[in-house]
Amino acid sequence: MVSDQLLLVFLVALVFIVFLMLYRVLKGPTVFDRLNGLGVIGTDAILILILIGFLEKRVDMYIDIAISYGILGFISLVVIAKYFDGKGDVDQ
Amino acid sequence: MKTLALIFLLSGFFFITVAALGVIRFPDFYTRLHAAGKGDTLGIALFVIGLAIHNGFNLVSFKLLLIVLFIFLANPIGGHVLSRAAFKSGLKPWTRKGE
Repeated sequence: MVSDQLLLVFLVALVFIVFLMLYRVLKGPTVFDRLNGLGVIGTDAILILILIGFLEKRVDMYIDIAISYGILGFISLVVIAKYFDGKGDVDQ
Repeated sequence: MKTLALIFLLSGFFFITVAALGVIRFPDFYTRLHAAGKGDTLGIALFVIGLAIHNGFNLVSFKLLLIVLFIFLANPIGGHVLSRAAFKSGLKPWTRKGE
C-alpha cells in the first residue's frame, strides 16, 4: 500500500516545505527567527535523506548519513544559540 | 501492517505541514518557536515510525527508532536554548494591541 510513488510524493512535498522555511530564513525579523528556520530545515533534511535512501534502495547507507546530519545540525544550532546568548539584535 | 504504516506516514506528514505553516504564519518569534518545537517533533517522529513499520524488522528500522529517540531529545532542547538566548537578548513576547 505504501508504494515508491507515494514516497516520491512525500519527498517532493518535503522539498517544497524546505523552500517555505527558506522564506522565513531570508525574511525573519530577528536573527533567532533565521536560526529557527534553519533548525526546521535541518530536521526536514533528515527525512529527505531517509526518503532518498528508500527510493535508491540503499537505505542502509543513507540512514547513517541522516543520523550524523541530525547530530551535526543539533550541535551547530546549540553552539550558534549560545553565541547569540544575550547579545542578538532584537530591534524589529 | 501496510495500512498502519500508511496511517503513521499520513499523520506525520500532516503535523509537519502544520508546523511549517505555523512557522510561516505566527505573529512573533516565541509563537513560531512553539510551532517548530512541538509540531515538528511530533510530525517527524510519526513519519519515521511509519517508515520503520514500512521497512520491516531489521537493523535499519532499529536505526530509524534511534533517530526518533534523538529527535525527541534534541528538538525541544534546541528550542529551549534558542528561546533562552532570545529572552536574554531582550526580545519581548507578542501581545494583542490594546491590552
